[in-house]
Amino acid sequence: MTAQTQVNALEVNALEVRGLVKHYPGVKALDGVDLVVRQHEVLGLAGENGAGKSTLLKALVGLVRPDAGEIWVRGEKVRLRSVVEAADHGIGMVFQEQSLVPNLTAAENIVLGSEGPGVRRGIYRWDTMRKLAQAQLDKIGSHIDPLARTDTLTFAERQMVEIAKVLRIEERTSHPPVIILDEPTSVLESKEIETLFTQVRRLREFASVVFVSHRLDEVLDVCDRVSVLRGGQSVGEVPTAGAAPAELHRMMIGSTGSDDHYHGNLAERSDEPARPRLVVRGLSGATFRDVDLDVHAGEIVGIVGVHGSGREDVCRALFGAEPTLAGEVTLDGDKLDLSGTRAACAAGIGYVPAERKIEGMVGPMSVADNMTLTKQKSRCSGPLVVPQKQATLVDKWIERLSIRTPHRGTAIQRLSGGNQQKVVLARWLVAGDIRLLLLDHPTRGLDIGARSEVYSLMRELANSGVAAVLLADSLEEAIGMSDRIIVMSDGRATREVACPAGGKPTPLDLVKEMV
Amino acid sequence: MTTPVLATPAADQAPVSGGPTVGQRLTSFMPVIALVALLAALTFADPDFLTQRSLTAAVRTSAPLAVLAAGATLVVLCGGIDLSIAALCSLSTVLFAMWLPDLGGLTTLVVIGAAGLIGMVQGIGHVVLRIPSFIMTLGGMSIFAAVALVISDAGPIRIVDRDATKWLTLYVGGIVPMSFVVAVIVVAAISLVLKLTPLESFVRATGYSESAARLAGTPVDLVKVAAFTISGACAGLAAVMLVSRNFSGSPTMADNLLLPAVAAIVVGGTAITGGHGSLWRSLAGALVVTLLRVGLPIVGVSSAWEQILYGAIIVAAVALTLDRSKVLIIK
Repeated sequence: MTAQTQVNALEVNALEVRGLVKHYPGVKALDGVDLVVRQHEVLGLAGENGAGKSTLLKALVGLVRPDAGEIWVRGEKVRLRSVVEAADHGIGMVFQEQSLVPNLTAAENIVLGSEGPGVRRGIYRWDTMRKLAQAQLDKIGSHIDPLARTDTLTFAERQMVEIAKVLRIEERTSHPPVIILDEPTSVLESKEIETLFTQVRRLREFASVVFVSHRLDEVLDVCDRVSVLRGGQSVGEVPTAGAAPAELHRMMIGSTGSDDHYHGNLAERSDEPARPRLVVRGLSGATFRDVDLDVHAGEIVGIVGVHGSGREDVCRALFGAEPTLAGEVTLDGDKLDLSGTRAACAAGIGYVPAERKIEGMVGPMSVADNMTLTKQKSRCSGPLVVPQKQATLVDKWIERLSIRTPHRGTAIQRLSGGNQQKVVLARWLVAGDIRLLLLDHPTRGLDIGARSEVYSLMRELANSGVAAVLLADSLEEAIGMSDRIIVMSDGRATREVACPAGGKPTPLDLVKEMV
Repeated sequence: MTTPVLATPAADQAPVSGGPTVGQRLTSFMPVIALVALLAALTFADPDFLTQRSLTAAVRTSAPLAVLAAGATLVVLCGGIDLSIAALCSLSTVLFAMWLPDLGGLTTLVVIGAAGLIGMVQGIGHVVLRIPSFIMTLGGMSIFAAVALVISDAGPIRIVDRDATKWLTLYVGGIVPMSFVVAVIVVAAISLVLKLTPLESFVRATGYSESAARLAGTPVDLVKVAAFTISGACAGLAAVMLVSRNFSGSPTMADNLLLPAVAAIVVGGTAITGGHGSLWRSLAGALVVTLLRVGLPIVGVSSAWEQILYGAIIVAAVALTLDRSKVLIIK
């Protein structure tokens, strides 16, 4: 079903946005955005970080009030001042960060906030509630038990519960609803993504869907049309049939670039040294057992695995941030103390956490103070901080990594995601004593431009002799960046796959090993 | 790392805004504005108020409060709270009175050291046992108050030898009370150490985001224990100041200082959620609180209203300074 067959002169658009403008102090987040969502179509929304995607979505569900512009729902001009008002007009959103209460059942979550007949005289009617929830789950053909506690469900299952929950807005309006999915695939593994796509196509039968993703292949796969934002403005709409990723990419960044920048540009390296830099033997913790791992200097080793494989915990354990039960780890022959993060930092290990905003950086502190937070000696003379020394060092790294910031004293939270991540990476580099980098989803949530910069930096660091462990955002990224890939499944390292330039495995090869 | 040839993307991001918002600018001057406004109001109510004598008296009264608040500010900056300061201060006045006959001139240092040690024990308990600082120091508050009652037989202990604390009752240049000068020196010294060493980064990182600070390898636990230690030591110093004025130690002497101290911290604009703030702010906050206290009778309000005022100040100051966009969950 292509977009064209659906267009009918008599049919009004499900949702239309005209000239939406939103200013934040110093930033024009939306600068006259136009958007049309037709009935029963899946509209892709693409754009780099900072293009205005999230502000636009928030405006559509009443979380942000635009300074100017109009929103029309089925030919009627509306003002959306809250999520409830948006729901009354049939607009609902599945948020990127999940919004379910973990210690309630799926059924309770689905009816939460709009219990309707599920509550009579202030008392829960469990049977009615379960039936309500079951009806919602049936709509999307899900087999999740409505009485299962939400925290026992997988991430993908919880997402289904969220979709079932958001579909309750159908009861508020007689028209087909508009469902917004904000980066729904960002933490799903490939198999779960397929299930989600099936779901999205099913939704199209009785709703319109706005699908937001920074992965162009996904957008092209599941959407009927794509609308591209750049710098708070609409730069175009294209039907996905026949569209090429490169064309979309060009629209997003405003010039031609290569999506698969990280593939193949591996530098030739001499033979690996005899002794690995990092040797892990029999490492066990709460969620992983008997993990063996070798990483040589100058090597990037990817660890892949589905959710629950324990790879994140292995990574944190190597940094002393997750307790271990058994096992020995040596770095360049010296036994590592895994009892805390300070010992790991002192040994020349760096860690880039997946949750950048919470764990990676201290938001209100300056770029300079974030960059020198770990290697304090690099800005000190004896016990005293030398501001001049810090300024010189930080400015040097701002230039080297082309970090775009007004000033080194700017609070890091005011930077874009990619620039924040570069500051976090620089933190481990300023002292020049880094030996092993543990990268936990270093490109999560970054746009394509920032991604390729992080890829170049990783490759450059490896070439200069740093060993790296990479938990990649996607299998393609793991394959593109890694020299070797370890497959983890159910807490164990089950396979090792060589991944040299020119002899890369396919994602399918790896998926077979992962499940 | 000597060959940094990184791709420079063509599209530049929209310029990120740099300066603080109007609200932030306002709160950073809040303690000073409040101080000036209060002085003006009191002078208007009673033109005789703006005399050197009454100002000197007000400043002298504020000294113990300022020291207490300054010490506790460190704990607040680390993202915690120390509710035990007033009880520990009371206990310290008892200890001072009891130890003075034996230790003589050394008593001051020993009491400050002992109070610091007690603060350190609370800090270690908080860090090692992973008990929220609120609970740890609430327990401490109760224990210290009771210990003070038990060892003092529930009554004040008079001090006969007044030489040991006489220096605190002197006036610098005949105008500025020595106790206030000491308070300023303590605030200046701690602030300077923070500013000149990496400690300020550690404290702020811990207060803003403990998990990020930990994963950056900063000594989070050490910093917290140090903050509680200094908070305890400041309670000890405040105790010496109180003894120098009252010529006795008493198990309830400082009990009514907890609320004013917390009020001083939040009126100063230090964020109760941690990270943002300074000791100087709390010093200014202590002056504001003290002026309010001495000002009430001037404008004809009964001193029974004092506690209502502190309660209202704390809630109002936090309501004004809290960045609510960051606080999604309130507990």
